[in-house]
Amino acid sequence: MVNKTTILLTTFFLLALLQPLFSQEKQKKAELPVLITSCGQSPGPIKMKIFMKRLKFDYEYNLQATAEDLIAKKKAGKPFKSLIIVTGASLKGMGAAGISIDDELKRIKKLMAEAKKEGIMIIGSHIEGMARRSQGAAAGDNSDELSIDVVCPQSDLLIVRKDGDEDGRFTTISKVKKIPVILFEKNMELGNVLKKLYQK
Amino acid sequence: MNISAIRKIIFSAIGLILFIPAGISFYQSRHLKEPVVLSPGVSTVKRLSDYFPAIKGSTDDCHIYFFEGKEKGATLMILGGTHPEEPAGRLAPWLFAENAVMEKGRLIVVLSANRSASTVTRIGGGYPPDFTIPTAWGGQKFRMGDRWSNPLDQWPDPEVYIHYPSNQNLAYVDIRNLNRTWPGRPNGTLTEKTTYAFMELIRKENVDIFIDLHEAELQYPVISTIVTHEKGQELATMVSMMLTDMEGFNIGTEFSPKNLHGLSHREVGDYSNAISLLFEAPEPFLDATRGKTTREQLLTGKDAFVMKAGEHGLLFEKIDENGWPIDVRVGRHTSTILQTMESWTEDHPKKPLVCRNIPRYAEVIEKGIGTYLHDPKKANSKRVVFE
Repeated sequence: MVNKTTILLTTFFLLALLQPLFSQEKQKKAELPVLITSCGQSPGPIKMKIFMKRLKFDYEYNLQATAEDLIAKKKAGKPFKSLIIVTGASLKGMGAAGISIDDELKRIKKLMAEAKKEGIMIIGSHIEGMARRSQGAAAGDNSDELSIDVVCPQSDLLIVRKDGDEDGRFTTISKVKKIPVILFEKNMELGNVLKKLYQK
Repeated sequence: MNISAIRKIIFSAIGLILFIPAGISFYQSRHLKEPVVLSPGVSTVKRLSDYFPAIKGSTDDCHIYFFEGKEKGATLMILGGTHPEEPAGRLAPWLFAENAVMEKGRLIVVLSANRSASTVTRIGGGYPPDFTIPTAWGGQKFRMGDRWSNPLDQWPDPEVYIHYPSNQNLAYVDIRNLNRTWPGRPNGTLTEKTTYAFMELIRKENVDIFIDLHEAELQYPVISTIVTHEKGQELATMVSMMLTDMEGFNIGTEFSPKNLHGLSHREVGDYSNAISLLFEAPEPFLDATRGKTTREQLLTGKDAFVMKAGEHGLLFEKIDENGWPIDVRVGRHTSTILQTMESWTEDHPKKPLVCRNIPRYAEVIEKGIGTYLHDPKKANSKRVVFE
């Protein structure tokens, strides 16, 4: 006769054994090589580049990457497996590149369409806090939010610095669109986020 | 004598009465001597004209302070006083000039990059001519200064300022703005000659990192940030991340636009081997919507009108009843400079930059800038230089 304690203990041990499997399902994994780009020409993608470099991951950094870059890489026999798009707009950055937010949105829409076609994992990101949200924009300038609107709801995963989610913008997108979100607090934690995401 | 003549005499007399104290005030402001008690770390003091003799004898022939480390390393240059009406941009390097000791690498400090601009305030602006930083020995007085060179030194302005060598059209008044005349012109105006002389210095001294210190109004989008030339993007981003994580103040990064000419973060990077960076701290005194333009407002950064603008979402930086005190603004700059040295050294261990004796953000706020200014009366007179 099996008593209640035995059943409980067996269940506990089984759950404990299965726990890593559940965790792995929760923590989405991404593959390399990865293409890092921007939607809005903010300096945010540089943060990604710094950590990718330090982690010695296979990455390419192109602030103005296009759908053609994905196609070319595929043709070369080494297709990108993931695409990180850092959202948040910089008027200085867009001015430097001689483009407008409309140009940026068009480029990114085409890039994401090609990525989806090729089965590339899209990671939408926002890592510069509220300074790269409405708080950092001139009256009437909503380019930060436009870049988020185009990228985040269409992504497979979101990586967000917590202070940029002060108004719950990203957690709401995550909930409504059922997209997993990784929130981190300190800049230097981003390295660990990427390590966990990409290391097998 | 008729009534008209009497009226003219009375008004002339009133004008003369106003003219005399105003003239005295302008004269005193232009000729106020600011003492610098040299840090034991200062090895040499040169003049800007040592690098470009055409500047010799002009108002802009400023001092250049050199700090040689015990061990060789990289060379970092701090440019203070590009816009003297942004006092944290002069006071932060002042703390270096009076206290810094380089252990590794070399430091070059300038306190009055546009010395001419430090001898005048904004014409018609009703600015205070000077301000005093309280110290244990009484206080040190500094010239308030302006954004542009003094018209007494460079006049008249053209209808349109055509920047050299890009030929970009800029606002006419910016021909006297030191941060619109880079990389300078050897046969140009005084301000153009000054930036040309600094470029010569940067090239001849093989400067690796060039930092231009500023303050910005809260209604200006480029605030609380490091503007970086493409050569310094990774360094600036690392510095920004470290400071935001470790020191409790937010500082972002912005890229220097390639097609915006005359600014140090663009031209110094383009016309020399140096990485060029520009730091911006918040200064409500510069906001167009400020209240009274007083010494108190300059030093406390408290302003109910600017706060009101914030309530209407018109600002790019937060402000509350605590304002933006000068200690906070200077502390941001000292920490950002020190962090630049640390992040650079991490990536370039064979060309290190190690500096000691300079307070970081929290320490400057806790003790106040005055703690780090030394009494010139008690110092060895050979170690006192006047700006």
